[in-house]
Amino acid sequence: MLVKIKSVAHVGLETVPVEVEVDVASQGFPGFSIVGLASKAVEEARERVKTAIVNSGLDFPPKKITVNLAPADLPKDGAAYDLPIAMGILTASGQIPDIQDLDPGIFYGELSLDGSLRATRGVLLVGLHAQKDGVKQIFVPIESANEAAVIADIIVLPTRNLKQLIDHFTAVKSIQPLQPVEVTELVESPNFDTDLGEIAGQELAKRALEICAAGGHNLLMWGPPGTGKTMLAKALPSILPPLSPTEALEVTRIYSAAGLLDSGESLIRRRPYRNPHHGISAAGMIGGGSNPTPGEVSLAHLGALFLDEMPEFPRSVLEGLRQPMEDGKVSIVRAEAHVQYPASFTLLAAVNPCPCGYLGHPKRECKCTDKMIRKYRSRISGPILDRIDLHVHVPAVEIDKLTNSSVNQLDSKMIREKVVEARRVQVTRFATDGIYTNSQMGNKLVKKYCSLSSEVTIILKLAVEKFDLSARSYFRLIKVARTIADLAESDAILPTHIAEALQYKQIS
Amino acid sequence: MLQKQVGKYKLYYHGDWDEQLFTKCIAVVGSRRMTSYGRRVVEKIVPQLIFDGWTIVSGLMYGVDQTAHEVCLECGGKTIAVLGWGINYRAGDKEQELEDKIVQSGGLLLSLWVDQAGTNWTFPARNKVVAEISQELIVVEAAVKSGALLTAGMIRSLGKKVWAVPGPITSSVSAGTNQLIATGLALPWLGTSYQAPLIQPHNKILNLIQNEDLDAGEIARKLARPMNEINSELSLLLLAGTVTEKDGKYYSALRDSRVTPSDQAKQDI
Repeated sequence: MLVKIKSVAHVGLETVPVEVEVDVASQGFPGFSIVGLASKAVEEARERVKTAIVNSGLDFPPKKITVNLAPADLPKDGAAYDLPIAMGILTASGQIPDIQDLDPGIFYGELSLDGSLRATRGVLLVGLHAQKDGVKQIFVPIESANEAAVIADIIVLPTRNLKQLIDHFTAVKSIQPLQPVEVTELVESPNFDTDLGEIAGQELAKRALEICAAGGHNLLMWGPPGTGKTMLAKALPSILPPLSPTEALEVTRIYSAAGLLDSGESLIRRRPYRNPHHGISAAGMIGGGSNPTPGEVSLAHLGALFLDEMPEFPRSVLEGLRQPMEDGKVSIVRAEAHVQYPASFTLLAAVNPCPCGYLGHPKRECKCTDKMIRKYRSRISGPILDRIDLHVHVPAVEIDKLTNSSVNQLDSKMIREKVVEARRVQVTRFATDGIYTNSQMGNKLVKKYCSLSSEVTIILKLAVEKFDLSARSYFRLIKVARTIADLAESDAILPTHIAEALQYKQIS
Repeated sequence: MLQKQVGKYKLYYHGDWDEQLFTKCIAVVGSRRMTSYGRRVVEKIVPQLIFDGWTIVSGLMYGVDQTAHEVCLECGGKTIAVLGWGINYRAGDKEQELEDKIVQSGGLLLSLWVDQAGTNWTFPARNKVVAEISQELIVVEAAVKSGALLTAGMIRSLGKKVWAVPGPITSSVSAGTNQLIATGLALPWLGTSYQAPLIQPHNKILNLIQNEDLDAGEIARKLARPMNEINSELSLLLLAGTVTEKDGKYYSALRDSRVTPSDQAKQDI
């Protein structure tokens, strides 16, 4: 008897419907084979399915069993086909009534040898697929079911084990559908690990972070070790605007595809913060593998990517950042797949002033030679530096010098309010331009939206002469000044704004 | 290859030979590992020396030597670089660039060799030439064991005047210069820093950084003013040339010079 069960395959963040065809022949040698470009993990489903069925107290038919995963030319990976295969065998061998006429929906999940279902990655994507294709219900492992709870118009049936499914279809005991949850209910979560208010001193860096969050500008911090660069970077998500429901779903999609959601977690509600170690490979940063999984740039989508000790990263990894920094997405091409992941992140970089780290430190002596320092600094290429709008010095702070002055005692909540307002202004400004933040402006838009008074032009002209600014850094300066003006709720760019922007220019 | 006899040395040279350059020569030498204090010392004393008609002689090594040449060129002074390597040897991009600038500015490059690379014995030999052509010597930052101190010894043995710039007793690169002063081998160079500026600037930031260098955050803290205001004011002061910035620290560019009325106007921005 032939049974067809619906399931889903992933290609990056895209989903493709897969039909799991199971045939239990009445004649022929007993055997069990899977066809349809199955990877090693899918091949091994044979052993898992067989044992799981037997351990659930059911019969595994001693007949010739053939499983086809259609379409046959699409590579399939992962253990999520265990459940549809098992369902197919049980139906084809008559142990549960023929469910095909009932349109039972999509089956998706990995089986354990005892017949229970294990947490499986990509459940959110399966739910979204069902919603799009008009499939009314999905059977998924109970541990991952929460991921799909936010998707409207579908019924999610959290399944514990095979036995439960048998009871469900033989009308002994139905599985209770998951309570749907509104996305908006979940979005706000104001708890953050690090608050800017906890960091002593470093007023300059905090102000730079504020501008970075408001205008989406990338930020480079340089200073000796132990001055709080990492803490500052960690605090960035706390001043970024909260994720909108669509953004939250977008981020969760990526994490679901990468299998990085905690079991029971439904929606990611905080902006992501990623800080990969500098030993990372290019594939780890950009994404890769024969069936490409998202890399750090995509996991930092709509959040912050922090590169501590940036010159220590391999050059190939840093150069790989150029495309995502420019386009906000990354295309990964492999022999078997061509996928695109979103990768619109704010880059935070920390750099020591020299290899030993103590150049310019008030107490400790730097032992690096001139040549070593020049070599160290040249490790970050010009094109990458050109895409970083804000450069800021984070000096060593002597604790006893820190006095409490109320003017600069800001916490994340206060800054966040200003940032949200500045972002709102930008969204209105760029409504017809297809961008969201000042940092994304091209030179044409800079000319359109940043008219400069004669006073401002004089300062710019002086600065170009004094600091030897290139045309590119000239435009960068104006973009930063635009953000500063937005934070000050000013329509025009005033001389003070451009003067402040000068403080964040690239340090040669 | 151009060659001239200078004292007991036969020297290769690049640039237009001008005997005038040698009439009043002062050597400014010091540590390769210059601190921000050393840089400020050089920026302060070299312009004064040029104003008094001195030719600045140094060794083109990175650190104090190169800074002395650079500051001299910026001020439009004449400088002689005595190379620790051959006249045609290419020591590095930065060195090459500076060498070209010196020649263009009417200064001279001198060397004992043609293609010799810089190595442990060439530098002491170079120091002897520096001692030969200079009438006086100022040591800016030198460790206890350093080439600058050797040069000081040579120039002393020739009966010429040696000055040393006193430095912080906590700094290892000032230990040598302080020792020279303490043992009476050199006169302390104090510049004119004991003279307070005639007119005190009115700007609060300028007052604050008159006597110590501070980073932007410290200035905001001390004045209890928001960071954005301090930042924009600092930029304007930088553009006006009234403050100088190095490695994130700000200091007054007017510190020791007499403030002229036009400077005063600039500060009031």
